Amino acid sequence: MAEGDYVVETQGLTKRFGKRTVVRGVELQVPRGVAFGYLGPNGAGKTTLIRMLLGLTRPNAGTMSLRGLPVPKRRAEALSRVGAIVEEPRFHGHLTGRENLAIVAAARERETFTRIPAALERVGLVHRSDDRVRTYSMGMRQRLGIARCLMADPELLILDEPMNGLDPAGILEFRQLVRALVDEGRTVMLSSHILDEVEKTCDYVAIVDRGEIVAMGPIAELQGEGQPRVLVGVDETAKALEILSGAPGVTDVSSENGVIQATLADIDVVPELNRRLVEAGIPVRRLEPMRASLEERFLAITSRLEDTE
Amino acid sequence: MTAAAPTVPGVRPFGLARADFLKLRKRRGLFWTTTVLIVGPQVVAYGILAILHAANPGHHGPAGGIENLGHGLSVLALVGSIGAIIAGASAGADDLSSGVFRELVVTGRSRLALFGSRVPGGLAFVLSFAFVAYAIAAVVSMTANGELPAPSLTLVLESGLWVFAELAFYFLLGLGVASLIGSKAYTIGILLAWRTAVSHILVSISALGVYRDMFPDVPFDRLAPGAVEEFVRDVPRVSISLAAAVLVLVLWVAIATALGAWRTATRDV
Repeated sequence: MAEGDYVVETQGLTKRFGKRTVVRGVELQVPRGVAFGYLGPNGAGKTTLIRMLLGLTRPNAGTMSLRGLPVPKRRAEALSRVGAIVEEPRFHGHLTGRENLAIVAAARERETFTRIPAALERVGLVHRSDDRVRTYSMGMRQRLGIARCLMADPELLILDEPMNGLDPAGILEFRQLVRALVDEGRTVMLSSHILDEVEKTCDYVAIVDRGEIVAMGPIAELQGEGQPRVLVGVDETAKALEILSGAPGVTDVSSENGVIQATLADIDVVPELNRRLVEAGIPVRRLEPMRASLEERFLAITSRLEDTE
Repeated sequence: MTAAAPTVPGVRPFGLARADFLKLRKRRGLFWTTTVLIVGPQVVAYGILAILHAANPGHHGPAGGIENLGHGLSVLALVGSIGAIIAGASAGADDLSSGVFRELVVTGRSRLALFGSRVPGGLAFVLSFAFVAYAIAAVVSMTANGELPAPSLTLVLESGLWVFAELAFYFLLGLGVASLIGSKAYTIGILLAWRTAVSHILVSISALGVYRDMFPDVPFDRLAPGAVEEFVRDVPRVSISLAAAVLVLVLWVAIATALGAWRTATRDV
């Protein structure tokens, strides 16, 4: 990908609180027009990185750019088309939803005011927009926060743990909204510790652990990394296990509930395995590749890190 | 809504100041507290004077006249300044305590602009109450003076400027301190103690000599219009020149707002 195709880019970004390094030399590249997951366990430095990008706290070292513009040097221009929610969206509870949007619109370009009705409509809050925010549920506040982001007509949305506090229906709705925003050509960068949600929502991911990015790329590629595995369904499990464990290209084999799981050096050995089983008189009822989940990749990466300590 | 090339935003004129005014105006507790502290004493004081005069004109003089204007403004300056401090503390700390300051910062707008807008927005809020209170004092003083001398228009206007200046001063002090320490409650506590007790005690200590000129009560007494000065005196008479009085007040405001602006610009949120 060429330089300039990244909507967020950092080099050696570091943040320390006292002697504790929370973000450690992060080199992040978020391509334009994708849903990008910044994935890591609690305390990995996700929120701190987002706060640095948005100018809420200053880095100790490193450089960063948003929309191709260096920040903090051209921060106002860079953030003019960025919508963001950090931790949870905050509002003045004594003001209505519409008034809260107007307050933030006043800090942006004048056209922002004209986008308030459309933003409320899009998140389904028109009917409650003249009620005080202190009467809103958590889910409604999240939606109002999204409306506040949309007022900026954002090229980039940065959402920190956006699914916190949402019920399953809200999560599904949110996922659809993210996909719709990406389909419009916008970039959505979201941080999360919920692997499953990142896997379902995002195209790209950076896995972060203890302030460092340990893997980054398209989710499909990350899932495909590591050794391929197949599931084998047969009637004579014990005999099949014996044949497969002795077959070339099989590095590990095990069975659970009558289904064999074989780890392979190369996916191309699958026809040979099938042939061996059939020639041994074992009918093969099932033979399918196993798709590694992001969770497995994440655990593999983080456990590898723990092993090296 | 579509993505477009980077542009420098053109913002709505006074948009942020209007937003700050809205935040204060819609806060019901603050609205009624300010009403009670700034407008309330004028209504009560002149109402009682009018009732007493109507009940026993021989024993109680009319509610108007120069002397009662002085007393009315004295009450407005003292009690009203507490309302102004509370409004200033709210303007300085509410965005921060509610977390909305962070939401404003991520728009890319300069933090100094976010701080600066609190000044006109908050002053518009405080001075609108002050204007109502002052109007009561001015109208009653000029129309309900009976046989007493009525204040001249010049005196009424000078008195108005003086009381507006005092309320604006304490609003800005509250705003600066609240923006500096980030807490409305602590700001109100500190400035309330200062306004009602500490500054009076310090000015009364004659051993402090000319250093007493640096406490705001002294320059405000110096700036009070001549005809009402003896009625609005807040502290023992201390001599200070007019220029020094103005300079002292400007320095207080400049230091308080500069510290508040600096903290607003540098604070992690």
